[in-house]
Amino acid sequence: MKSKWLYLLLVTLFTMTLVACGSGNDDSAQDNGAADDTSEEKVLNISSPSDIPTLDPIMTEDNVSTQWIDTIYEGLYRQAPGGEIVSGIAKIEETEVSEDGLTYTFHLREDAKWANGDPVTAHDFVYGWQRATDPANGSFYGNYLMSGKIKNATEIFAGDMAPEELGVKAADDYTFVVELEVPIPYFDSYVINSNFLPAHKEFVEEQGDKFSLSPDSILSNGPFKLTEWKADNGWTVEKNEDYWDAENVALDAINVKVIKETNTALSNYEVGDLDRVTLSGSQVNENRTNPEFMSLTESSVFYVKLNQESTEKSEYMQNVNFRKAIAKGFDKQAYIDVAYGNDSVPVDTLVPYEFVQHPESGEDFQTGNEALAYDVEAAQEFWNKAKEELGFEEVSVSFLSGDSDVAKKVSEVMKTELEKNLPGLTLETVNVPWAQQLDLMRSGDYELAVSGWGPDYKDAISFVDIFVTGGENNDVGYSNEEYDALVKAAKTELFNDPVKRFESLQQAEDILLEEAGIAPIMQRKTSVLSKSYVKGLEKMNPFGNNYSFKYVDIQK
Amino acid sequence: MRKYLFQRIIYMLITLFIIVTATFFLMKMMPGSPFNNLGGKMTDEQRVLLEAKYGLDQPLPVQYFKYMTGMVQGDFGVSFQYNNRPVTDIILDRIGPSAHLGAQALIIGSILGVILGMIAAIKHNTWIDYGSNIIAVLGISIPSFVFAGLLQYYLAVKLQLFPVSFWEGPIYTVLPTIALMIFPMAICARFMRTEMLEVLGSDYIELARAKGVKNSSIMFRHAMRNALIPVVTVLGPMTVSLMTGTLVIEQIFAIPGIGEQFVLSISTSDYPVIMGTTILFAVLFVVVILIVDLLYGLIDPRIRLQGGKN
Repeated sequence: MKSKWLYLLLVTLFTMTLVACGSGNDDSAQDNGAADDTSEEKVLNISSPSDIPTLDPIMTEDNVSTQWIDTIYEGLYRQAPGGEIVSGIAKIEETEVSEDGLTYTFHLREDAKWANGDPVTAHDFVYGWQRATDPANGSFYGNYLMSGKIKNATEIFAGDMAPEELGVKAADDYTFVVELEVPIPYFDSYVINSNFLPAHKEFVEEQGDKFSLSPDSILSNGPFKLTEWKADNGWTVEKNEDYWDAENVALDAINVKVIKETNTALSNYEVGDLDRVTLSGSQVNENRTNPEFMSLTESSVFYVKLNQESTEKSEYMQNVNFRKAIAKGFDKQAYIDVAYGNDSVPVDTLVPYEFVQHPESGEDFQTGNEALAYDVEAAQEFWNKAKEELGFEEVSVSFLSGDSDVAKKVSEVMKTELEKNLPGLTLETVNVPWAQQLDLMRSGDYELAVSGWGPDYKDAISFVDIFVTGGENNDVGYSNEEYDALVKAAKTELFNDPVKRFESLQQAEDILLEEAGIAPIMQRKTSVLSKSYVKGLEKMNPFGNNYSFKYVDIQK
Repeated sequence: MRKYLFQRIIYMLITLFIIVTATFFLMKMMPGSPFNNLGGKMTDEQRVLLEAKYGLDQPLPVQYFKYMTGMVQGDFGVSFQYNNRPVTDIILDRIGPSAHLGAQALIIGSILGVILGMIAAIKHNTWIDYGSNIIAVLGISIPSFVFAGLLQYYLAVKLQLFPVSFWEGPIYTVLPTIALMIFPMAICARFMRTEMLEVLGSDYIELARAKGVKNSSIMFRHAMRNALIPVVTVLGPMTVSLMTGTLVIEQIFAIPGIGEQFVLSISTSDYPVIMGTTILFAVLFVVVILIVDLLYGLIDPRIRLQGGKN
């Protein structure tokens, strides 16, 4: 009898604690009123596929971090929608470049302020850049971008010099001077990366390990400021009224909700919680007739890596006819339809379309070399030649891919297509987790694998440089002297001759394609539904942050 | 009783130690590094630098020793994927919604399930019994994400009675709770019905009836108590799995819970977060098992908790 009452008491207590726990979450319930705009407030409601991994400008490696760092900070220059580089803290029309292209002098505007009212000075840039190169901070992109380019960066990362010896200085409070080791013709778009942002030394040092972990531990200087950030739930940025160009910032706030499930995001858009949503998979075709539908071109290309240094099959993979047969032997449209079902475009080339333009005529870099276009007959001709030269009738080649749904579909479609079109070929599909896939690719332990590349700055060399002999990201073992020479020229003596440089990069790409160093597949597109009153998000930026929210407006 | 508890706690600590140690070494055997997750852009030198920064260049036993000393002092390290963010923050930020939702679903689900099962047993072989059986079978066999999707589509998108997703207040918990509670409800109903039927046919119930004990008293005081034992057994592990977050439901309703974080930390080799979440789940598990064992004694006095008597 007694124990029964004790039991009941336990249950009651348990329930009461839970109710008490529950009420702790109610405080934000009233936030939602922001969606219905009774006032003139311009608030953009969007979603993000993940929380922000980091808001420390020198630690970002992913799209979400890059996007929101760009939104709350401002560096020397800024990217306008469509990729035009415009003045940020530095006045772009006043920037001086030395004859040899090795010294840049930036003149900073004097009305730019940090959120605490302090002026943004050249010293802040010096500190920000030094911070990015300090090996103790472990910035991956800082190392990737600055080594071999900014004076002494390589030695600093190696620990042989102190960060203070980096080739940057403040000539006065508003003059920032950068010394380079090699000329960088694409310097304007290169310094857009968040590793080149200024940092407020006093604040950063005061925050220590907590820097950038919450709105309170961030001191920014951009068009918006972070006002709320809840783990895996969402964040809010509000217009920074003290921003030097605040009169040209239209939005009052942006609310971002973390939504990982794409169907949920679409449902939220349909009931009006979101002003814009990114579509994926079958959602693209289901919504194609919606007047709010848009497909935006990205500068990411995907290609099959043909590992010419593969341990087991290198004699096959080094045969140019063998490679060409594979590169021409699968239907790229089928690949897109099966694996993604979206609007991505099949391509036969490496450098993306609508990415860089001829410095004088303005024509697109990409002229559409068709050497590796899908063509079963031609592929079979190359295949027979390869069989003759190598003396085989049947061969099996492994195809490395990930273990996600999309990656498995990729394996299936490649196997179906290649085995159908190239008689005697067996494709052994290997599906492993992403991290392991990268390990295998890095150690050259694969034969075929799909890879993608997105540029870090607006220059064709961001792509063409990958496949130089011994290049740090050249894990397909491609090597061609002529190609190397053309890329080297573009990096050195041609820096002052943009037309010739442009052409030599085009030639280099042609060589890579004629030799089937890789097998291009597609250039990615992102499809979205966007309410018609949202303006300024009609294009994705060709590199770096996807969108420039400074220029976005809501016109109802 | 006190002795029993003490003994159990010692065993729990040993279990936890083994779990933590095994996880630590198994985790280090996973292929891939935590620093190469963004494609081929990282060189070997950069990786060496980062490994040195996070102490991953040291021999495994040293890393293990450091981790254990830190852990005992309450320091679970910082995350790799969320640069520099302490693991305790990552877990504390996300466990709230998961635990809240899980507890709500468990309590409502199990109470409804027990009632449903009891009614079914009492009204054995009537349409009520068949109806509750159908509900139970559907609840067990249809995955919760299907319910979640249907609820979301009809009640939130079409009728707009509830918010589609997010975690901003009580109304936001309704749909995910319903989706989550279906399974515990069905399980409880099944167990409860079977056990009740068995108990109701047993001699002591007959005796009670013969003695003229009131029907309600027979049901609640004598039958239900015995029938609850198997239900409590299955509820234990279910509590842990519900309270530590259910990946799919959290994703469908955009709830900032811990379920997905665990999966994500494994796929990105975020060692400190893997360890932190494993420890949390392990602690919850052993504690729940202890509570279940203590509950047995309360429900059925025949099960006596006697430690070290022999």
